[in-house]
Amino acid sequence: MPTSGRLRWFIFIGLAPSVALFLLFVIAPMIWSVYYGFYDWSGIGDSRFIKLDNYKEVFDDPVFWKALKNNLIVVAASVFGQVPIALILALVLRKTSLFQRIVRGAIFMPMVLSSVVIGMIWQYMYHPQVGILNFALDWLQLGNLKRQWLGDPDIAMYSLTVPIVWNYIGLYLLLFMAALSNTPAEVDDAAKIDGASGARKLFAVTLPMIWGTIQVAVILCIAGSLKAFDLVFVMTGGGPAHGTELLATYMYNNTFNIYRFGYGSAISTVTIIISFMFIIISQLLLRRDQRQF
Amino acid sequence: MKKILMLTLLLVIVIGAVTACGSNNKSGSETGTNTATASNTSNASEAPAEKVKLSFWHTWTGDDNLTKAYLKLIDQFQEDHPNITLDIQAMPQDAYKTRLKTAAAANEMPDVFLAWAGAMTKELVAGKAVRPLNDLLDSKPEWKNSFLANSFNDFTVDNQIYGIPTELTPTSLVYYNKSFFDQYGVKVPQTWDELKQAVEIFKKNNVIPIALGDKGSWLAQSCILSALADRVTGTEWFLNAAAQNGAKFTDPEFVKSLTYLQELAKIGAFQDGFISIDNVGQEQLYNQGKAAMFIEGAWAVTNLVTQSPKDILDATHVTILPAIPGGKGKANSTSGVVGAGPAISSNMDEAKKAAAYELVYALSGPEAQKMSVENNKLVSYKVDVPADKVSPLFAEVNQLVGTLEFSPVYDAALTSAGTDAVNNGLQELLLGGDPQKIAEKIQAAVAKSLGK
Repeated sequence: MPTSGRLRWFIFIGLAPSVALFLLFVIAPMIWSVYYGFYDWSGIGDSRFIKLDNYKEVFDDPVFWKALKNNLIVVAASVFGQVPIALILALVLRKTSLFQRIVRGAIFMPMVLSSVVIGMIWQYMYHPQVGILNFALDWLQLGNLKRQWLGDPDIAMYSLTVPIVWNYIGLYLLLFMAALSNTPAEVDDAAKIDGASGARKLFAVTLPMIWGTIQVAVILCIAGSLKAFDLVFVMTGGGPAHGTELLATYMYNNTFNIYRFGYGSAISTVTIIISFMFIIISQLLLRRDQRQF
Repeated sequence: MKKILMLTLLLVIVIGAVTACGSNNKSGSETGTNTATASNTSNASEAPAEKVKLSFWHTWTGDDNLTKAYLKLIDQFQEDHPNITLDIQAMPQDAYKTRLKTAAAANEMPDVFLAWAGAMTKELVAGKAVRPLNDLLDSKPEWKNSFLANSFNDFTVDNQIYGIPTELTPTSLVYYNKSFFDQYGVKVPQTWDELKQAVEIFKKNNVIPIALGDKGSWLAQSCILSALADRVTGTEWFLNAAAQNGAKFTDPEFVKSLTYLQELAKIGAFQDGFISIDNVGQEQLYNQGKAAMFIEGAWAVTNLVTQSPKDILDATHVTILPAIPGGKGKANSTSGVVGAGPAISSNMDEAKKAAAYELVYALSGPEAQKMSVENNKLVSYKVDVPADKVSPLFAEVNQLVGTLEFSPVYDAALTSAGTDAVNNGLQELLLGGDPQKIAEKIQAAVAKSLGK
């Protein structure tokens, strides 16, 4: 009994610093931002209590809904782009030949680059005059497919999802490879003895074995996409004419460009609530899926 | 039990160290090397009785000659004033503006800083973060009277002057490559129709008529619309609309000026993809000899002088946007602001204030103004341009500016939210949006931000 009491104390003390930091730097600002959301405040000077006006405005603001829609595009592109591609790559690149190692390195490379660098690289690729993409289309005699990739509000958001997906595949590849190498060899052997191979083995054995990791990956994906900011900020800044505005960039622009700290806070609060909802829904969906296997 | 006690103690120390480090780091980086050198020099010379420590934030971080001249000026100031220790922080402009806002919000303003005329000054005054400089100006009448007319307008709130202009920035000048105009026999446009004809001819000959880079979204507003709309609406209407005082952005004259701007885009005056490149991109197109004109503020002169190939630089001349038939504004004018200037915090004692005044005068006095002009920077102060010290293009701009009247720039006169609405609205407009609807959005944003 004394041992477990001591252990409990030790756990408590060991956790205390990180819990304190978490409370101070994550939870407290969150509560502050909910609080500021009730005020009309320009960042300097007096603030004015305006009850729910900011929150009402958020729901009436067409740009907010557009930003949410754009965010959903990013979520969809990430969940249905990053996760499956990373999974397929992980299955293909399981062996450790030199070629596969090089490919793995290449896929992982964007992870170690700063988002600003990636943004600049893709900005040049999409450049209407000197961009390699339009050059390539010309060269392939597909000149009529040339677009102003980041300048046309109708397609700019989709153009932006490509670098976002490309950027983070490496992370999920790493997750899946770790999960695959953690599946016990006995299961493989058992499957072999039972005569399962190919697609059947993949769907009946391998995928269920790493389902937990896939679940985690999807949640990371959704959470990451909802707070996406850096690449879009670098490449378009939310423009043209709010065409690629995300919740985070819209919040940033409101807070730091036009100094509506209160309204920016209200947007963050609503974003937090939306993010929670998405995570909960995705959790529920994936849990049901698991039972089918 | 002892062990646990020790462990707790250790943890407390570690956490203490971590948090202490955090705050130490902050002040450490703020103080930086500048303080060290400043205090060194002050130690070296005879130290007067009272020492004053001033914090000073500025944006001279570049590598150009004017920046270097300013830094030298500051060094000189420190040498001349051994009793004043400067705690300097230099930041690039965008970061600086955000940082200053944050400092104002936290009531931690530096003692002396650069403030921008117009919206920023108004916001700082509203936040009671700046202190008027009237008594400093009044104590040196010769200095005060050498500023050009209207110089202090954008630094003035309720008859109090909160900043001293150190630069004059016309935001809308048309830079053109004369060799293209000669080659295709085009007249430098004086009227709207001539501009349209010029666009037509250049397009036919595969020359970009006007290079445009509106990715940052401010360019079309600050460099084109501010001057263009003033031609149509007149200055008085704009100031009234900006204050929502009997004029609205949905008024027909403003919608008409939007239509003029859109007309340029519709007839193909700008190259494809103007929304994916920024002002550097438009200068690049011009420097590559692909474009006949581009429209930007006076700051582009420096870029052209340092970056243009010689043949293009030699062929480059400057004019203003053409007159618009039936417009209410003056044709011989363009938009301009007095830019940034030193200001001081509202929160300081008398000794500090005296020291701050010294610094403000050093940064914006006659010597500093002359220094700016010699380094190719326009000032709103009477200075003769030494012909041998500046580039021909700068001399040409300086001469042109002397003949013009200046109208307000949209982003200096509008609220931040209003500017944002105009910026985004113009992107939409240039991509083919409906001028009437865009005007409605701008009107709504401006009215809301003014609480009307």
